[in-house]
Amino acid sequence: MLNKLHGIIFAYRSNPSLRELSQHRNTCSIPYGGRYRVVDFMLSNFVNAGVSDVGLIAHANYQSLLDHVSSGKDWDLARKHGGLRILPPFGYANKRGDGNYHGRMDALAGVYSYLQKIRQDYVVLAGGDVAVNLPLAEIFQSHLDSGADMTAVCTSKLNSDPRGCDYFTTDENGFVTDVAVNPTTAAGLESLEVYILSKELLLSLVDHCSTHNISSFSDGVLVSAVHNLKIHAYQFDGYAARLQSVAGYFARSMELLDPAVRAQLFAPERPIKTKDQSNPSTYYGPGAKSINSLVADGCIIEGEVENCILFRGVHVQKGARVSNCVLMQGTVVQSDAVLKYVITDKNVRVNPGRMLMGHSSYPLAIAKNEIV
Amino acid sequence: MLLAGGQGSRLHALTSHVAKPAVPFGGKYRIIDFPLSNCINSGIDTVGVLTQYRPLELNAYLGNGQAWDLDRSDGGVHILPPYMREGEKGTWYKGTANAIYQNMGFIELYDPEYVLILSGDHIYKMDYSKMLAHHKASGAACTISVLEVTLEEATRFGIMNVDDSDQIYEFEEKPKHPKSNLASMGIYIFTWSKLKEYLMADEADEKSSNDFGKNIIPSMLAHQEKLMAYRFRGYWKDVGTIDSLWDANMDMLSPENGIDPYDTEWPIYARTPTKPPLYTGPNAKVSHSMVTGGCEVYGTVENSVLFHSVQVEEGARVAYSILMPGTVVKAGAVVEYAIIAENTVIGEQAHVGTSPDDQNDSEWGIAVVAQNLKVGRGAVVPAKAMITRNVKGDDKKC
Repeated sequence: MLNKLHGIIFAYRSNPSLRELSQHRNTCSIPYGGRYRVVDFMLSNFVNAGVSDVGLIAHANYQSLLDHVSSGKDWDLARKHGGLRILPPFGYANKRGDGNYHGRMDALAGVYSYLQKIRQDYVVLAGGDVAVNLPLAEIFQSHLDSGADMTAVCTSKLNSDPRGCDYFTTDENGFVTDVAVNPTTAAGLESLEVYILSKELLLSLVDHCSTHNISSFSDGVLVSAVHNLKIHAYQFDGYAARLQSVAGYFARSMELLDPAVRAQLFAPERPIKTKDQSNPSTYYGPGAKSINSLVADGCIIEGEVENCILFRGVHVQKGARVSNCVLMQGTVVQSDAVLKYVITDKNVRVNPGRMLMGHSSYPLAIAKNEIV
Repeated sequence: MLLAGGQGSRLHALTSHVAKPAVPFGGKYRIIDFPLSNCINSGIDTVGVLTQYRPLELNAYLGNGQAWDLDRSDGGVHILPPYMREGEKGTWYKGTANAIYQNMGFIELYDPEYVLILSGDHIYKMDYSKMLAHHKASGAACTISVLEVTLEEATRFGIMNVDDSDQIYEFEEKPKHPKSNLASMGIYIFTWSKLKEYLMADEADEKSSNDFGKNIIPSMLAHQEKLMAYRFRGYWKDVGTIDSLWDANMDMLSPENGIDPYDTEWPIYARTPTKPPLYTGPNAKVSHSMVTGGCEVYGTVENSVLFHSVQVEEGARVAYSILMPGTVVKAGAVVEYAIIAENTVIGEQAHVGTSPDDQNDSEWGIAVVAQNLKVGRGAVVPAKAMITRNVKGDDKKC
């Protein structure tokens, strides 16, 4: 079964509720978990299941994504034959003529010639903005065994904003009987936006949608085909984090301080890979304090951190006190500054003695490269 | 040409499975990362690594050289083990010079004007391009990088006696009464045509031990070749003994004394697995230490270097120690003034090593526990011990 599955990641979405965090990037390349970009999780899921060919569909704001995935070598996807292919919107004009992707079917239509050349019989479609460690090899096997036309991965643990999710109702055999798209209240099984189907079915769905001017996968495929297609729901109840808003990002980050969550997300048998930067180890100074915190490599901690997520190369100087914060790569908190409930984007500098305070329900987010 | 075949017998508990250059160092690295990173940072993109002793892990580590940007279609990193030739028996590398002699064919493939000879057991940052510029400007046949040491230290090194222009007129190996304080760092640049000549002559001499320091350099001096000393100022440490390896790791904690790993101008590259960020627990105390991804620290860590995936459980204390990847220090255990090799487990309440304050005599030294061992619950490993077998504890009691 190895090499029978082809991976497609939708990596073009933007989300205005992420404010500062998605100013310079799309939702896939948002830093998450101390050293990762969200897309690392789905890429690693693919690679860990033996997927050798992956198409990454990008649209706008993808410079940071390109910089991150590069040739794909850190995921062993830099291959002569197959491997990682980044699919920018080259010369695509949809029927509305504005060149934007209004939905996943639009995006797939935009890369139609790529889809035709897929050399595997099956395709897994996934969003690049969910942090989850999936046993994808098992899921694929279950798809083959179930005889379903399509397998949808979903969870019974609901902790996302339902207005941005799809929900499934299933029968006793696990087949989907109804789909609710972006409801106001969550009910049933929440889709993790990972779908497995045959290449043949995928191409016919893309043909159908493009000739009927349907851009949305949820509406055009799930809702309208729920009675024509056998869609099997694969329930995965491990940890999954969807980054939908700044407060949500903060909450999902803080959940990582729970060892049980980390054990699921960083299961050693399915390692999450990311861009290698050859950072040195993290140095703790003589008066440093680091309590209940996740700290990536290359940090220098001379002050105090508590309940924090620190990305690579963060510097917390003497006398600085940082609690309940997410500090992204290269953030410098200078001496005696105090930060509570703050998210700093890359390379933010907080000058000596500054005090910044947000709240867990409304964390203060500071945009990339800003100086406070 | 990087000589990486050394056994490192003085580090034996740490080198029973790997060659010395592959011994982990400084939290994130292996010793060989320093010369390799120096090469790529100096603009050298063709490197031969000569391996002999226990090369498997080293070979796997080097791979295609990607971690050092040495994966190239022209040049790149090449692993050079001894090999068989037709018409004669293959031999091991008899000495450092013989190792290069046996690989003259490799060097000729690239038809270089100059060859840089390095060894894989030193920790330092050095721009070889400056040394090469010095070599070219002086028109020497050979340039040897030297470090100024104290006269007492000089008795432990190969010492270069030089004239006013730093031209070498005499080489003395570990002199009792040193005339100079310029110690050889084991870094040589040769004009290739000259080196070739001397390597062939050396090989023809049956009495020679085929060593650069003992044979090639003295022979060149005897033939009035121009040998120049190149003075290096900066941190350099030979990590051939347990004490110096421990010292050099401790130096990493004080970049002002040693090597600054955070300096992005001269990065040291390494090949490491991707691990999640380290986690410090609710009662963790970490001070003046380096800790790496995948570590979980619930106890106390002071003045120590922790490689990736080390676990320090609640109530455990680690001080002045080096914990290599995957070691586990169970609850209540104490590890002080010790080096613990990969994946070794120190049981609950065990005590490894002692502080020199508690035992200030000649019996004191760094305790070393080799890889993949278990030190049982409550067991005691004294200072200076070199442990290569499991140590039983009182596990039955619990």
